[in-house]
Amino acid sequence: MSGILGTGVQEGLLLKPVKYQWAMDLYDQAVANTWFPNEIQLDQDIADFKRMTDEERHAITYLMSYFNPNELLVNKALAFGVYPYVNAAEAHLYLAKQMWEEANHCMSFEYVLETFPIDRDEAYNAHVDVPSMARKEEFQVNFIKRMTEQTLDITTTEGKQDFVRNLVAYNIVLEGIWFYSGFMVALSFRQRNLLRNFGGLIDWVVRDESLHLKFGINLILTVLEENPDLQTPEFAAEIKQMILDAVEMEEEYNRDLLPSGILGLNANYINQYVKYLADRRLEELGFEPEYKVSNPAKWMATANDTYELVNFFESTNTSYETNAKSVTGSKSE
Amino acid sequence: MSITVVKRNGQREAYDANKINLAIEKASEGLDENITWVTQIASELELTLFDGITTQQLDEAVIQVALQNVKDDPAFDTVAARLLLKTIYKRVLGDYETDEELARLHLEHFEPNLRRGVEEGLLDTRLIELFDIPRLAAALNHERDDLLKYIGVVTLNNRYGIKGRNGDALEVPQYFWMRVAMGLSLNEDDPTTQALGFYEKMSKLEYLAAGSTLVNAGTSYPQLANCFVMEMQDDIEHIAKTVRDVMWLTKGTGGIGLSVTKLRSMGSPIRSNNTTSTGPIPFMHTIDSVLRAVSRGGKKFGALAFYMENWHLDFPEFLDLRQNSGDPYRRTRTANTAVWVSDEFMKRVQSDADWYLFDPLEVSELNELYGAEFSARYNEYVADAEAGKLRMFKKIKAREQFKAMLMSLQASAHPWLTWKDTINLRALNNNTGTIHLSNLCTEITLPQDEDNVSVCNLASINLSRHIVPSTGSGQARFTVDFARLEESARTAVRQLDNLIDITKSSVKEADFSNQQNRAVGLGVMGFTDAIEQLGFAYDSEQAYDFIDEVMEHISYAAIDESTELAKERGAYPNFEGSGWSNGLVPLDTIDRNEADRGVPITVSRKSTLDWDSMREKVKKGMRNATLMAIAPTASIGLVAGTTPGLDPQFTQIFSRNTSSGKFLEVNRNLVADLQKLGMWEQVRESILRSQGDVQGIAALPDHIKEVYKTSFQISPYAFLEVAARAQKWIDQAISRNMYLESRDLGDMMDVYIGAWERGVKTTYYLHMKPRHQAEQSTVKVNKAEELSDAASARAAGEGEKVGAGAAPARRGFGFSGLATKGE
Repeated sequence: MSGILGTGVQEGLLLKPVKYQWAMDLYDQAVANTWFPNEIQLDQDIADFKRMTDEERHAITYLMSYFNPNELLVNKALAFGVYPYVNAAEAHLYLAKQMWEEANHCMSFEYVLETFPIDRDEAYNAHVDVPSMARKEEFQVNFIKRMTEQTLDITTTEGKQDFVRNLVAYNIVLEGIWFYSGFMVALSFRQRNLLRNFGGLIDWVVRDESLHLKFGINLILTVLEENPDLQTPEFAAEIKQMILDAVEMEEEYNRDLLPSGILGLNANYINQYVKYLADRRLEELGFEPEYKVSNPAKWMATANDTYELVNFFESTNTSYETNAKSVTGSKSE
Repeated sequence: MSITVVKRNGQREAYDANKINLAIEKASEGLDENITWVTQIASELELTLFDGITTQQLDEAVIQVALQNVKDDPAFDTVAARLLLKTIYKRVLGDYETDEELARLHLEHFEPNLRRGVEEGLLDTRLIELFDIPRLAAALNHERDDLLKYIGVVTLNNRYGIKGRNGDALEVPQYFWMRVAMGLSLNEDDPTTQALGFYEKMSKLEYLAAGSTLVNAGTSYPQLANCFVMEMQDDIEHIAKTVRDVMWLTKGTGGIGLSVTKLRSMGSPIRSNNTTSTGPIPFMHTIDSVLRAVSRGGKKFGALAFYMENWHLDFPEFLDLRQNSGDPYRRTRTANTAVWVSDEFMKRVQSDADWYLFDPLEVSELNELYGAEFSARYNEYVADAEAGKLRMFKKIKAREQFKAMLMSLQASAHPWLTWKDTINLRALNNNTGTIHLSNLCTEITLPQDEDNVSVCNLASINLSRHIVPSTGSGQARFTVDFARLEESARTAVRQLDNLIDITKSSVKEADFSNQQNRAVGLGVMGFTDAIEQLGFAYDSEQAYDFIDEVMEHISYAAIDESTELAKERGAYPNFEGSGWSNGLVPLDTIDRNEADRGVPITVSRKSTLDWDSMREKVKKGMRNATLMAIAPTASIGLVAGTTPGLDPQFTQIFSRNTSSGKFLEVNRNLVADLQKLGMWEQVRESILRSQGDVQGIAALPDHIKEVYKTSFQISPYAFLEVAARAQKWIDQAISRNMYLESRDLGDMMDVYIGAWERGVKTTYYLHMKPRHQAEQSTVKVNKAEELSDAASARAAGEGEKVGAGAAPARRGFGFSGLATKGE
């Protein structure tokens, strides 16, 4: 079998020739984008956190309570549902780096949770105790379970479909919509000159997640292309419905995130952003957009879309690369 | 949903859209499309509202909504700035309706607010004793606030405005300028008239005093000097004293340069207790911790740069100080690092020779020597080392160490490269001793020793405020107002000279050195802003000639003013024996440097003014040991609303991350040019998508692409040429930020050798082009389309090797009928 799917343990032991160049390119980019959370100093953010309103503090705590366990959930989806069923060595390389990144994100949120003055028990238990959060988790867990608790034969149409379902669940839904709406909320504080260093941490996480999404979408498109038996209207309809269901779950979750509202944000506003994101993901998968709403968060142009010039004495510069490996041209040797 | 607003007194009232609309309309006055904007801002605001919002939150929300539209039109920035100003006026002065009322409130509250500041012990008592306050109040002109951009208003308000003991804001922007002007006129015979002169210049943003001066002038804590330069002696008592001095200077908000070259290296013997030294690194870590401890309530850390000569045995570890990984006790997270490089080293790099590292204990005079004398002594030590006469040394390849520096520079932006011989040989002020280091921002070059902590006092002329519409018949629309430029330089020098007699630090060696040398540094900002208005590209001969001519005029006026001040107030105590006293001016030092180096310094020597008569004048007496230095102006540049120092536009649209928040910066000159061509609305999303790079937008005319390059598209040699031409006229140095797209170490070596060859004294931060970017949120993104584009491009390049990627654009689930077929 020559496609990207397969379970042959002895296949994919040699990197060359690279068949899926996109996976190799993403691996190189991911390695250059290596960072560590302890480069960020949170002293000023703690002072900010203490000055924030109850609802603002609730929103931040709630976000991290969600992110922290779910970064590890992504790892389970990768370890049990993606890695074993992919043959290409270049894809394995990328997945290994992504899994380290998820661990690093988990440790980053752990670092913040342990540093900020919050009720940690409540924060760590929220993913079980808050129904709207638990519901999102359950949605994910169901797809992962199908990959582990039953024997999955990746050569069958049903097996391949399960593979794609899991991929869409963790990559498009969890990383591409749910995380992204949370990133917008997290970055909104920096626009009000609050939690600037935490914002820097989120910048790093978003850059990683942007690559995760590229990888996931590539993988989905490649699998679809290589396996005509997946190209049925019924299956497409099912996938689309997954995304629409995910939007509805996110709306409920966001109402718990911001029961009333904070300066510049309320649940409806976030949910409009969720729909805007969902349309983008649908289009990337080849679907028609569903919601056709505008992006309410135009300020993301400042927060996320542009190169950042740092006043060095005032902020951590997140543009430098750790362990940069400089190349030397032949002329100076 | 019915929305109620909670007022300051706790009462609730229904949200009144009309009231908000009127406020937005007022803030949009005089702007092109104010009517459509009112509706747009109002409807976007309603998205963010919630029941129970406070009036204060509502004010902030309107401003945030206006701001988020800056990406589409920078005029929204003006709307946001005006809205913010209004909240400041109301907080400081109380409610008002009309402009006339606002002017009256400015007049009425000025004196009471000053008195309150004095009574609360915040302001200098002399502010209400020495001045004709009604005359000052009558000069206050709030219309000048319209010159401020949003980021300027925020910076003024957050950083510089005085607050009462209970937190009440006491200053509107015009009160702030006046307070600073008064605080710098305290020593004048006619302080009121002089304060009015300073106010006139600063409130029009023609020049600005530097940060510490703006924070502290006129206050009861007048630590007005900006830069302190000191070194640690190789003795434990002095190390402790240095820690103490760093604490005091940090408390007073001064930036510090600190040389550690003299500290003996790790493993070097200590006689008194018959043990060995740990070397300088642990002491640097100690100082680093001090910077974080004395941090203004955790809001602003101290700022310091360590300097070391690169022949020090511990220099390899010095290079690691800013690495993120490794033993945290051998790192300085907060302090910066800079290397003090000799001509001898540069020559050894060029000839691929060896380089020797020594223990300062064995070669103590090396730190005092420069130029040919340094080389001679260094070579003697090399011979001693090879002959086995030295206890400790290390031999490496010069080129290997140079690469290690550049690699560290690329990965961590440190250490900054500064050239000790160029600095000392081109100095006019080192008659009192060797210059051992530069300062926090690499623009100060002052000698110091155990008894002298050198001090520098800065101000910067805003070049973009000296560009005026052209009156001539030529093609140029704009031109330089040289008369105003000269006036700005003269007024600024007088203001800086006053500062020296008013400022106080808590380090007696600093106060002493300040009195003995009276060193000031007048610089410029807004270079790129100015040349864009003139239609010049950064990397053009016109731009090089412009900076050359402008700096010559400023320098000439500044030096002349200092000779005039010397006549009025006397020469500075250390004048005798200085380069000035021998009739030298900055331009004359290039040849001296070249003769010593024995290698040509490649910069034009052209001049246009009558320097011969100036040479005669300076011989007779100077008021100040130094006159010129170009500071980074990273903060005051924001207040002035222009490009900092000599910096290029980072890109045409980018975000600035400052301690006051993250702000979008759209190049207004570009927008104005494109609006004239009727193209802005058509290309603005493309410019945002490309992160502010206009080169790939086919529709744009070539002259636009030529002038509006990103900092990474401009040749790095252009940054050097601009610095080299400016350096002709500057007796101190320039904070020369560098920008590089290439990560090739060979290219980097060429660039930094190029700086040395041009006689540039120092370089500052190196910005590498970021390679990573998050998925954009506000522009249309479809990764599947990007992928098929990239794949077909690759397939086309590789000819027959057509794989899955080269198929027609992949459609994902597009087969299902759930998506529209490609129209």
